[in-house]
Amino acid sequence: MFATIAYKLSRVVLLALLLSLGVLQEAEAHRVTVFAWVEGDMVHTQSKFSGGRKAQNAPIQVYDQQGNLQIEGKTDDQGQFTFKAPGKMDLKIVLIAGAGHRAEWSVSADEFGDTVTAKSVPANELPTSEVDQTTVATAQALPQTSTNLSRAELQQIVEATIDKKLQPVIQMLTEAQTAGPTFQDIIGGIGYIFGLVGVAMYFRCRNKSA
Amino acid sequence: MHISEGILSGPVLISGAALAAAGTAVGLKKLDYDRIAQAGMLAASFFVASLIHVPVGPSSVHLILNGIVGLLLGWAAFPIILVALLLQAVLFQFGGITTLGVNTVLMAFPAVACHYLFRKFMFKTDRAAAVAAFACGFLAVFGGALILGLALMFTEENFFSVAALVIGAHVPVMFIEGVITAFCILFFRKVYPQLLPGVRP
Repeated sequence: MFATIAYKLSRVVLLALLLSLGVLQEAEAHRVTVFAWVEGDMVHTQSKFSGGRKAQNAPIQVYDQQGNLQIEGKTDDQGQFTFKAPGKMDLKIVLIAGAGHRAEWSVSADEFGDTVTAKSVPANELPTSEVDQTTVATAQALPQTSTNLSRAELQQIVEATIDKKLQPVIQMLTEAQTAGPTFQDIIGGIGYIFGLVGVAMYFRCRNKSA
Repeated sequence: MHISEGILSGPVLISGAALAAAGTAVGLKKLDYDRIAQAGMLAASFFVASLIHVPVGPSSVHLILNGIVGLLLGWAAFPIILVALLLQAVLFQFGGITTLGVNTVLMAFPAVACHYLFRKFMFKTDRAAAVAAFACGFLAVFGGALILGLALMFTEENFFSVAALVIGAHVPVMFIEGVITAFCILFFRKVYPQLLPGVRP
């Protein structure tokens, strides 16, 4: 009788396992991360679970400093979500990955170039920094055909180039931000546990001898 | 199965912390000095198990091992899981410090319940012990997913949709843990029966 029950149970188990493979989309994970970087006036975000899987179709909310909801959206198949910055301000990006998973990332106002505000502020009111003067100087030294670039346009070009050059660096940062625990973390944790066992053993020995 | 920071409401966090503290107190009181080394080994295994990713279908899941910890240790599973979760939160950023209590309860409570349900089968026939161990590993994860759904119920709209999602995602882990627990118990029966709970015949 036991054998027949075991046999029936194993068939149910197999069926359930096959079914679960079909419905499994939102696998459980221990950690989810969101990382954001600025490119011009666009903000790109990358969301990942521990283990390297991308967080797909997960809602993302963008808040300003006062905690007002500015932008809402969803990540794509690659776990990415890109939005246009609502202005040059501090932003808090919140990823809600469901089933108890949530992650945050802050983007500070300094990370945005001046191009974000350039649309509303006239060019002659832009802060004049040393860099601006050098770019203007180079612009004046260029042949006549290209000198009719305004300062704002030039600044945009420079920023676009820098963004392009920084792309690999940002990629590396994304990898580092979403990386799993290191070997040192793991060994350190095991060491802590064994240390606690040692402390407990010490108290035991002291009680015995007392 | 770790709940991140900033999801649960204050009352849920506080009651989770209170339950975890009570469970830990009972566990420390019941923890036999002779079992400290074993408890440490299990804490280390639990701590590392979450790093083992098993590819299932299009994604991957990872082990929890709360079933076997509970089966072997009973109430002592509370302090063990608390310590391991604290280290996971600090070193791996799994879960969080504020959610430590809730996370401890959702993994340790089903583990303790499974201990009392299944310990009497440990010295029965091989097959009964294996089935009981499988059920223990399976139900400990199931119970955890159920409590997770319960905790999320206070923040997300519908308990049934949340619970179904969480339990569905954990089904492969339940089976894997059931099998692992069964193999461990069979191994201990042959090699090191002193580790097993229950009355030896």
